[in-house]
Amino acid sequence: MKFWAAYGVVCTVLLAAYLSVPFFYDRSGPPAAGSVRRAALASKIRGLDPQDIGDTTSAAVAGQIFETLYTYSYLERPYRLIPLLAADLPEVSPDGLALTLTIRPGIFFCDDPAFPGGQGRELTATDFIYAWMRMADLNNRSTNYAGIFQGYVKGLDEFRAASAAGPADYDGEIEGLEVLGRYTMRIKLNKPYPFLVYWLAHLPTAPVAREAVEFYGPELVNHPVGTGPYRLAGDFRSNRFSLERNKNYRLETYPARGEDGDARAGLLADAGRRIPFIDRIEWSVIEEPQPRWLAFLDGQLDASGIPRDNFSEAITPGRELAGELRERDIRLLKFDDPSVFYYGFNMNDPVVGSNLPLRRAMSLAFDRETYIERFLNGRGRIPVGPIPPSFPSFRPEKENPWVRYDPEEARRLLAQAEEECGGPLPLLRVAVPGTDTTTRQGGEFFRVQMERIGLSVEMDYMTWPRFQDANRTGSHQIFALGWQADYPDAENFLFLFYGPNRSPGPNACNFSDPEFDRLYEQAVVLPLLEDRLPSYHRMEDIVIEQCPWLLLTYRVNYVLIHPWLENYKPNNFAEGTIKYQAVNDERRRAFYAEKEEGS
Amino acid sequence: MRRFLVKRLLYCIPVLFGISLLTFLLFRVVGGDPVDRLAGKYARAEQKEQLREQLGFNLPLWPRPELLLAGDLGNFADNQLFHHLFDTFTFRFGRSQQYHRRISAMILSGLVPSLSLTLPAFLLGLFLQTALALLSASRRGSRFDRLLTLACLVGMSFPFLALIIFGQSLLAGRFGWFPILGFPEKFGLGVLTHTALPVLLGLVAGLGGGVRFYRTILIEEAESDYVRTARAKGLKESRVLFGHVLKNAMIPIITRTVVVIPFLFLGSLLLERFFSIPGLGYMLVDAVNSSDWPVINALTFVGAVFYLGAVVLTDVLYALVDPRVSLK
Repeated sequence: MKFWAAYGVVCTVLLAAYLSVPFFYDRSGPPAAGSVRRAALASKIRGLDPQDIGDTTSAAVAGQIFETLYTYSYLERPYRLIPLLAADLPEVSPDGLALTLTIRPGIFFCDDPAFPGGQGRELTATDFIYAWMRMADLNNRSTNYAGIFQGYVKGLDEFRAASAAGPADYDGEIEGLEVLGRYTMRIKLNKPYPFLVYWLAHLPTAPVAREAVEFYGPELVNHPVGTGPYRLAGDFRSNRFSLERNKNYRLETYPARGEDGDARAGLLADAGRRIPFIDRIEWSVIEEPQPRWLAFLDGQLDASGIPRDNFSEAITPGRELAGELRERDIRLLKFDDPSVFYYGFNMNDPVVGSNLPLRRAMSLAFDRETYIERFLNGRGRIPVGPIPPSFPSFRPEKENPWVRYDPEEARRLLAQAEEECGGPLPLLRVAVPGTDTTTRQGGEFFRVQMERIGLSVEMDYMTWPRFQDANRTGSHQIFALGWQADYPDAENFLFLFYGPNRSPGPNACNFSDPEFDRLYEQAVVLPLLEDRLPSYHRMEDIVIEQCPWLLLTYRVNYVLIHPWLENYKPNNFAEGTIKYQAVNDERRRAFYAEKEEGS
Repeated sequence: MRRFLVKRLLYCIPVLFGISLLTFLLFRVVGGDPVDRLAGKYARAEQKEQLREQLGFNLPLWPRPELLLAGDLGNFADNQLFHHLFDTFTFRFGRSQQYHRRISAMILSGLVPSLSLTLPAFLLGLFLQTALALLSASRRGSRFDRLLTLACLVGMSFPFLALIIFGQSLLAGRFGWFPILGFPEKFGLGVLTHTALPVLLGLVAGLGGGVRFYRTILIEEAESDYVRTARAKGLKESRVLFGHVLKNAMIPIITRTVVVIPFLFLGSLLLERFFSIPGLGYMLVDAVNSSDWPVINALTFVGAVFYLGAVVLTDVLYALVDPRVSLK
């Protein structure tokens, strides 16, 4: 009896405490000291070791802490490479086999216990060489080596192979990575590699301090030590964490060059002013779209995408911002995503791989316009080829005869496909990564589209690991996938069709065409884009003709931003752009005051 | 009692062995190959093979009997199954392949947020469910009992996900009575503020089923002969309910509640995800989706240990509350 009485008292007090929260909860939250940018991450950070970063979430945070030799101009379009840690663009030898790189003096790592006296030291050329060796070192299990350096840098593959036997020798010399002075280094290549400069603007090539690596050991993933404008303050493994200003950050200024319309949009008003403008970045990991949306509307986030379920609440049928949000001075930004989504045909499969009329029939049977409207709320474009818009090699005038919706023609081609097959086509199996409702709805839409022309397909929804297994072993016939570019050159899409990259490599559809391969090999050693363009266009034409992909869509992103967030311009390739952004505290406070009044 | 405990704990070893073997079969043999994900999107066959070697996935899955017959014990023991069993039973879970973080640190850091959410919801739920069930059982057939039964049925029919979305949008988003999401970096009063809404939603979601369950048990007990005798002797109703009915209904109550306790440690998947609480709720699902084998193994094994511990505890509690039960 006594136990029950005590238990009852405890529970009553606890319940009363929870129910009393509305009476003392201050909705406006504590006043922020200094200028604070509030941002959300849609998934957890995997780790902040730059050499091992392979996901966009980790890159979003690490990009504020680490810097690379080069970056992309924040405002200019098309994307233009500019030096960041480097003093200038690389000096390339006439044969394209050596790049001399010079970094700017006076760049310091942030303060950290890893350094003597806790004072961050100056960045030198050795830090880059060390970082690239770390990427090659098998013991670090970096996922980026294959895409960036494999086969290109003299002696680096050998260093990698040697690291399989035990701890790698970082004091040894590598022929292709040469330190010429405190601020100068040279990369010697086995063959010309014009895309290397893009990779040098990619986070995995960011320098790390050897002291930090040795001090933290395997815990380096939790202790980023970079040269960027911000440094980590607290534990990022929590769902809420902050970055604070790196007081060692050098003098950098806001860009003075932009594209047409930037000046009118106020994006050049801060030209020449010292960056960063923001003192602290507060990140929240919010994995579900619904709470992310609520937090944005509540002013807890400065910017947000629009969840599918809330789209009609935010956007009018005319694709403009809805009245209520417009009244709050929220702005809508639309921009092309450097990605393409597709259903890939396994070209090794005896049914779909050797039957061109079948692939074309399926492509014509798919109603992309309805798909984009129904599943993306119209945030997409009907694709032309594998190269999306916003790439210099994109041809807006190009027509792809196989992406229109034409069920009649599809049926005719299907009959031809059956003739080629020597009888009725068997049931086709489609591997789809994901088991959630939206994925299943998309898959069902595809199935129904095919059924309408008389083709039977079975959708096999699977987890990502199972899907990758199916890809590796080539056990699927058709698969749903997408690709997001890492740099603004069409090669980053076309390599997905290069024969030697077949499964288990990145060419998941196992496409192989002698002419395509020859053009690819010729193009990728040419230093200038203008010279590569004709080959790129012909390669794209081959892909369009052969139809190894049933192209679904190019994505268009919609982002909403509160009026207090200034200098915001989406940049698909530059890392760490928050340093250019500013927060107008007065406007934010006014919003909170109004909200407080309203409640 | 000591002998019983030792015996029960010894029984746990083969059960844990079986669970560990089953986990291995499901995720290492039948499940996908994690190397494809770990190797990155640009990896070719040779890089994947190198990684497979590094992770020990190139070793044979099973011990080969012919090596044992040949007396080659070193190679006989060098297989994935033996390594897995040795590491698991010595609690050497290593690091997550996805987050590169010590799994023990991941579990420990997720434990407090998860328990901050699940423990109050469990304690309050048990209290409210039994209290309402007692009231309902003691007034069986009354208007209150009928209304409560109806409310329970409505509550049970309402999907938990819908309840979360509705509660979060209305009470936090629109009215601003509670924080929309988040969990404080430091443990303090902020925990109460940030977990209030998810706890209350969890409480509401579990109320219907719990009340119905306990009401049925209590009514069964309340109709027993010994209760009628107690009432005939003129005992007060509170004494009858708490001293007799509730005490004798303890066996099913213990069975239901104690077995739930291990799951409290593993958190609440939906609540943690929607309220952005960094607990353990989503860790297992996330690990399965990404084939993070060491995390799957650690959470399954730790969960199994907790569960078996709870089963032993249940047996001990049976003996404590019911003199008819003896531990032999």
